[in-house]
Amino acid sequence: MIVLGIDTSAYVNAVGIVDGSRVLADDTYPARTDSLEQIVANIDTTLKKTGLPLVRIDGIGVGLGPGSWTGIRVGVTVGKMLVFGFKKPVCGVPTLEALAFPARDEAPLICSVIAVGVGDAVYAGLYSPEGDGVKRIGDYYIGEIKGLSALITKPVVVVGAEAERYARLLRPAPGMTLKAVEALPSGAAVAALAGVRLARGDSDDALSLAPLYLKDSTARVFVNRYKKEQG
Amino acid sequence: MLVLGIETSCDETAAALVADGKTILSSAISTQLDLLKKYGGVVPEIAARRHTELIGYVIKEALDTAGMTLDDVEAVAVTSRPGLVGCLMVGVAAAKTISYVKNLPLIGVHHIEGHIFANLLSHPALPFPHVCLTVSGGHNMLLYVPEPCKYEVLGATLDDAAGEAFDKVAKFLGLDFPGGPVIDKLSRQGNPKAFKFPRPMIGTKSFDFSFSGLKTAVVNMFKDPLARGETLPLADIAASFQEAVVDVLVAKTMRAAAEKDVAAISVTGGVSANSRLRQVFAAASKNRGIEVFFPELSLCTDNAAMIAAAGYARMMLGERSDLRLNVFPNAPLGLP
Repeated sequence: MIVLGIDTSAYVNAVGIVDGSRVLADDTYPARTDSLEQIVANIDTTLKKTGLPLVRIDGIGVGLGPGSWTGIRVGVTVGKMLVFGFKKPVCGVPTLEALAFPARDEAPLICSVIAVGVGDAVYAGLYSPEGDGVKRIGDYYIGEIKGLSALITKPVVVVGAEAERYARLLRPAPGMTLKAVEALPSGAAVAALAGVRLARGDSDDALSLAPLYLKDSTARVFVNRYKKEQG
Repeated sequence: MLVLGIETSCDETAAALVADGKTILSSAISTQLDLLKKYGGVVPEIAARRHTELIGYVIKEALDTAGMTLDDVEAVAVTSRPGLVGCLMVGVAAAKTISYVKNLPLIGVHHIEGHIFANLLSHPALPFPHVCLTVSGGHNMLLYVPEPCKYEVLGATLDDAAGEAFDKVAKFLGLDFPGGPVIDKLSRQGNPKAFKFPRPMIGTKSFDFSFSGLKTAVVNMFKDPLARGETLPLADIAASFQEAVVDVLVAKTMRAAAEKDVAAISVTGGVSANSRLRQVFAAASKNRGIEVFFPELSLCTDNAAMIAAAGYARMMLGERSDLRLNVFPNAPLGLP
């Protein structure tokens, strides 16, 4: 099964293609503020490089975020219109899971991190290796990176952009080994995780596919706080 | 040529199918009115999130209503400028992906050019040259239009658009959002001569507008009584304020029509739905050999049929966008 994976959550346009467990392409295109401008051309470039026409793709994986709010809207919209256009199944893949996946052999606990953009706050997920993939332990975490320390109960690998800096801010229990792997979201990882679900006959509804923001917009936060205060 | 139009520049998620720039086969619009009422206006991040949730459904609705599939579509037109960047991006991402998957020509459309074409959808016989007044909550321009897709900007607002002034005055008076339809309705029970509000720049030579001072005049006259908890004569205030806006819009447009010696005026944009504006234009143009055209009400506010129509006209001129089409929060009218 050939799966195309895209992720635009991290100020890069990641485009990958996998065939089962074989990676056919795993490209990262720089996209500081122009992920929208480049993404469709980037997909076309990667397809042409592998010599695969779009019709050979059996399914699509889309990185849902968290990350850049604008970025994930672009990726999710492109993903849903790709499958709406050529009627193939789609799977949304949380970007934290896609980050954890390539690091699954590094440690019994994988901590993927994505910067929130305020101080040392991160979106994070803790994963353990399971079968061909990874399994999330507990809920997603949003907050200062050091607040995660208490949850590190096994040797851990921190994965993400600036993983080394975040790893230095963690204070795990004495004796826990702590590694860091600098990584950006990978299109191939998104494709591989989508492929696992697609192989089971599982997919998401394209039209309702939505980004994983993990955080309300500021306006909604204020309104909710106001409502609470008013009882 | 069957064109799929997509519009997400502000708070409306819209898609439409239009044949040959003339016949509307479907026009699906999902308004975010519930959110606007809750937040008292458009919150860009919240609007962009809603567009992302709705865009697929709205495009499917447009296709289903017309009894078509994407295989029937021959070109894609999308609002790419001006507007809220995060909102525009959703429509453009959808449009360019469809264009890529289905190998269809793509055209980025200027939102205000869309509004101008709304009137050509309603009145295919609208003569050229004409003078066009296009007014909404986000824009306010007076144009000379010698032929389709050619514009000479005669004037524009220096501060608030007329629709924005409606919204802000409505908000000040504690009325619902959006202010335009609310004030229009309330004014029918009020006396437009009850209060004397300024008609900003009505006598100046320039065709520019300014509505910020008028809004402030309303606020200044009533902020103290409002703070004291007095009951305000809302209908009279609304009618008097509306009359001031309408007087300025009509006076400047009629003068532009005389100066440019045209026999037709086209009024478009959300504010063109205002019933008093339509009345006063009708009265002012009577016996002067000038015909005033308004779009049907469903085409006054943001919709994607007008984007498809404008995109079609641009494509007939040989214009195309490529897959790197981007969005622009501000953009001059008339450039491809």
